[in-house]
Amino acid sequence: MREFVQRLIDDKIGLIGFIGILVVIIIAIFAPLIAPYAPDKMFTEHVLEGPSGEFLFGTDQFGRDIFSRIVYGAQVSLKVGLIAVGIGATAGLIFGLIAGYFQGKVDQVIMRVMDVFFAFPDILLALTIVAVLGPSLTNTMIAIGVVFTPVFTRLVRSAVMSVKENEYLTSAVAIGVHPVKIIAKHITPNIMAPFIVQITLALSGAILTEAALSFLGLGVQPPDPSWGVMLNASRTYMEFAPWTIIFPVTAIVFTIFCFNLLGDSLRDILDPKLKR
Amino acid sequence: MNKKGFILAFLFASVMALLIACSDNSNTDEPGNDNDSNNDGEQAEQVLKIANDQEPAGLDPHKTPAHSSVRIYSQVYSGLVQFDADMNVVGDLAVDWDQPDDQTYVFNLREGVKFHNDREMTAEDVKYSFERILDEETASHIASYFSNVDSIEVLGDYQIQFNLKSADATFLSNLTNASAAVVAKEVVEENGDLQQVAVGTGPFVFEEWVPDNRVVLLKNENYYDENLPKLDQVIYYTMKDEAARMSAIRTGEVDLTTVSAQSADLIKDQEGLEVKDYQSLEYSYVGFNNEHEILSNEKVRQALSLATNRESVADIVWGGDAVVSGPVAPSMGDWAIDVTEHELYSNNLEKAKELLAEAGYENGFDITITTASTYADMVDTAQILQQQWAEIGVNAEIKQIEWGEYIDTWVNKTADILVGRNGSGTDPDRALNYFFHTEGSANVWNFSNADYDELVTKGKTTVDLAERKAIYDQAQNDLLTLSPNLFLVSPMKYVAVRDSVEGFTPYPHDGEYILEVTKK
Amino acid sequence: MYAYILRRLFMLIPVLFGVSIVIFFTLRIIPGDVAATILGTDATPQALAQLREDFGLDQPLYQQYFSWMGGVLTGDFGESMRTGQEVLPDIMSRFAITFELTILSAFISWIIAIPLGIIAGIKRNSKTDFGVRIISLLGVSVPNFALATVLILVLSLSFSYSPPVGYVGFFEDPITNLQILLLPAIVLGTSMAGAVMRMTRSSILEILRQDFIRTIRAKGAKERVVIFNHALRNAMIPILTIIGMQIGVLLGGTVIIEQIFSLPGLGQLVLTGINQRDVIVVQGAVLFIAFVFVIINLIVDILYSYLDPRITYK
Repeated sequence: MREFVQRLIDDKIGLIGFIGILVVIIIAIFAPLIAPYAPDKMFTEHVLEGPSGEFLFGTDQFGRDIFSRIVYGAQVSLKVGLIAVGIGATAGLIFGLIAGYFQGKVDQVIMRVMDVFFAFPDILLALTIVAVLGPSLTNTMIAIGVVFTPVFTRLVRSAVMSVKENEYLTSAVAIGVHPVKIIAKHITPNIMAPFIVQITLALSGAILTEAALSFLGLGVQPPDPSWGVMLNASRTYMEFAPWTIIFPVTAIVFTIFCFNLLGDSLRDILDPKLKR
Repeated sequence: MNKKGFILAFLFASVMALLIACSDNSNTDEPGNDNDSNNDGEQAEQVLKIANDQEPAGLDPHKTPAHSSVRIYSQVYSGLVQFDADMNVVGDLAVDWDQPDDQTYVFNLREGVKFHNDREMTAEDVKYSFERILDEETASHIASYFSNVDSIEVLGDYQIQFNLKSADATFLSNLTNASAAVVAKEVVEENGDLQQVAVGTGPFVFEEWVPDNRVVLLKNENYYDENLPKLDQVIYYTMKDEAARMSAIRTGEVDLTTVSAQSADLIKDQEGLEVKDYQSLEYSYVGFNNEHEILSNEKVRQALSLATNRESVADIVWGGDAVVSGPVAPSMGDWAIDVTEHELYSNNLEKAKELLAEAGYENGFDITITTASTYADMVDTAQILQQQWAEIGVNAEIKQIEWGEYIDTWVNKTADILVGRNGSGTDPDRALNYFFHTEGSANVWNFSNADYDELVTKGKTTVDLAERKAIYDQAQNDLLTLSPNLFLVSPMKYVAVRDSVEGFTPYPHDGEYILEVTKK
Repeated sequence: MYAYILRRLFMLIPVLFGVSIVIFFTLRIIPGDVAATILGTDATPQALAQLREDFGLDQPLYQQYFSWMGGVLTGDFGESMRTGQEVLPDIMSRFAITFELTILSAFISWIIAIPLGIIAGIKRNSKTDFGVRIISLLGVSVPNFALATVLILVLSLSFSYSPPVGYVGFFEDPITNLQILLLPAIVLGTSMAGAVMRMTRSSILEILRQDFIRTIRAKGAKERVVIFNHALRNAMIPILTIIGMQIGVLLGGTVIIEQIFSLPGLGQLVLTGINQRDVIVVQGAVLFIAFVFVIINLIVDILYSYLDPRITYK
């Protein structure tokens, strides 16, 4: 663990990503303290005003403070990312472990079902699920979570299978150690590296997918300030009120960029093959 | 950047530049007219390119109410009568007509009018078309407009008689509907329906439909008015994204497109472009479920009306270019009453709170507003209402659903409050009877008021104009007071046209009158 | 090898059946049906019932499924409920467009990504490496619909340029066709380039560390020879994998870009279909996309084994 932290610090790129994410998390947690106004408060006298002392990032078409909405938007976007990926990763971990450990028929069934979902194009699958459940914050998260499940399942399964080939496990099975114990003690720790990398990358994917769903009007519901919703609304006004698009785009790009930086460098760090 | 990367980037940029450069030369080349060289001084190609914001949903005039379809098939088909610029009913396929009595109309048809398949149109075709509309198996959306038709008699090749069940003041104006089109029987029989083909008697001939991309119409050389149309070709391109439409109209890739109020502001001063506006026949509304536990109380509905600042909706959602409206949009002229003086339009929060208290909700209540995500203006309106109503303690949550589900909600009356937009139609009967009579097909509000029903039924059968207007004035006032719906604002519509387009004027009842248009 | 391919093809059958069942039943759960969306606010109960009967929506679900599936198995995907157009020919003509866009975007992403990835890999931890990584990650981080909108706006305002509006196929008019597809392909290509770049870089890193490369180096081969003749060839395997996956993902991922650039592709077909509840169209198109996707994955796997003699398939 210490070595891990040391390597992360050494890899400047990963560190930048890590710090960036920390900043976003802090903004999200302390949003009520940081934001000067409520995110849905309309100042109808100040519609589409540029950045000023009163409205740091300007106002949108309802006269809402864009800065406050960006700050609260961090909450929404992180929540979507974390819960959606949480759903996908947990489901993937469970299915992947079962499939990889027991193999045989169970494996066949689980993997064919995953293949079915995997064969659906991501955005179409998410879109269909949201259409079925009805658009809302929760359903957006569920939809994105389902979309991510096959990727995690495949990843965990193949990692489990390769770990299982190891001699020490073969002997553990041979002497009759309980499967749950083997999974918990020997397999899980060994597959954490690729798993963590996939999580950081999926987080950025989730935030982008939410933005895409919002573009189609199926994401987070107004007046909740998700960055995707803000971005989509600003498309009409961007030409004469560029601040309505600049700040949400910056927020999205910054956050995803940081997740990607971290994921990228974690991949380098955790990949045993790349150790010098 | 290293050298190789630089070279690649350079190559890439060159290809891009080359392609852009090529496009400038090919700009004037149009499909189907490749032989014409476009030298200065020669007459311009008479091709009008229109950006359509939705893909047409089929071309059958009797089955398809979608605007993206209407704008196309209304150029291919004609009806018996039409509106002129001032919304007076004038002849189209009918030269004239008379009324032996209140329940009978006799139309004299234009002679020698030909369908696009070269067969002459006769009274039999008119009879067939209306019977097709009224046939339940057609499931026509305009069947309800003509439910009052009892029988249709062919009196001769060029004369036809409609017998009505009762006197009907709306009959003629309903006939102007683009969907009341005369179609050819053999085409229907050959193709099953008319969704993919279009053979009418109108000014343009259907040429091809490339799904999700374009519909091409050609000039009807045999149109009954020899001087019309002036264009040789009209192409409707499906461009769903407003940014793409803006880009195309700015650069002249298309000649005509509808734009939003915000976009209209941006391009109104641009050289080479003109923005034409007209007051639409539409109005935005808040529909209440009148059987809802809380909303069934008239005082609650009135309180919400008082808590609504309609000017603010006009300002924010429509950039100030919308007028406060009642159930009949102001562009209906004399039919519409002046609503601004109505008590419930005064945005009086004190009074609203009083009414809420009288109804037993002094602390407000929780409610859900449902609206369609497909239309930004509806979502924006819902958000403003949410803020405005919060001031009298009404805590509204917004539920945004996609269009297909919205229609389902609308039909099945499953929402408490629905925010949407309605067309006033061409006769006040639609706005008042169709939407609010207890038996009205579009009364999805569970609204029922015996006095009101009686009033609008009388309005439909009263032929005397002044008398009819008095009835509808009364009905509108009643509706405002009873507030089964809140009527908000009627927006302006904008059409951006290139300078090269001459003779284009949009009307409230027809935003795309292109018969007189020429290109220069 | 042939046995392996056959076995894999055989395994596709249950997957595609699964896809057909999932898409069929989820579409029935979505509130609202095609009859309601056609009639809109003009709907009367009689008209609705009539239309539902016309479309066979009043039949039991399993019966609807079997009659649809029966048709599909004999190559008849049915007709669009909205337009009466036959579904399969429509899917094919749109697939041509989406596929061309996909190939073009993938091509653009390789032009950008593979050289940069190689450079970054060779010069690990240098300034060039950092620069390349950051630029490529930025490309992945921008939502492509935002990039598309900005691109359209800037080109039309600053250069008075807008792509041609009427779609023409490549074989009708290649220049116009490429002009139409260039902008969307650039947008999709830049967002894809990051992933390819990363994969290229890490494959190069891995290969360069392997024994046989050391041996070649030790023998005194020039660095250029080492990289181009030996390292690159071996690094192509994982790169190929990601390219295959990328094409699969793009096939279904062009929905939004097709909408913004008004391209009549498969994504538009599905999106319009969902919005109008034209379930016959959506079912057919999704099944088709899934079919192409699994086939591409299969091809990638086979190529993979072909290129890497170390991998053998039972």
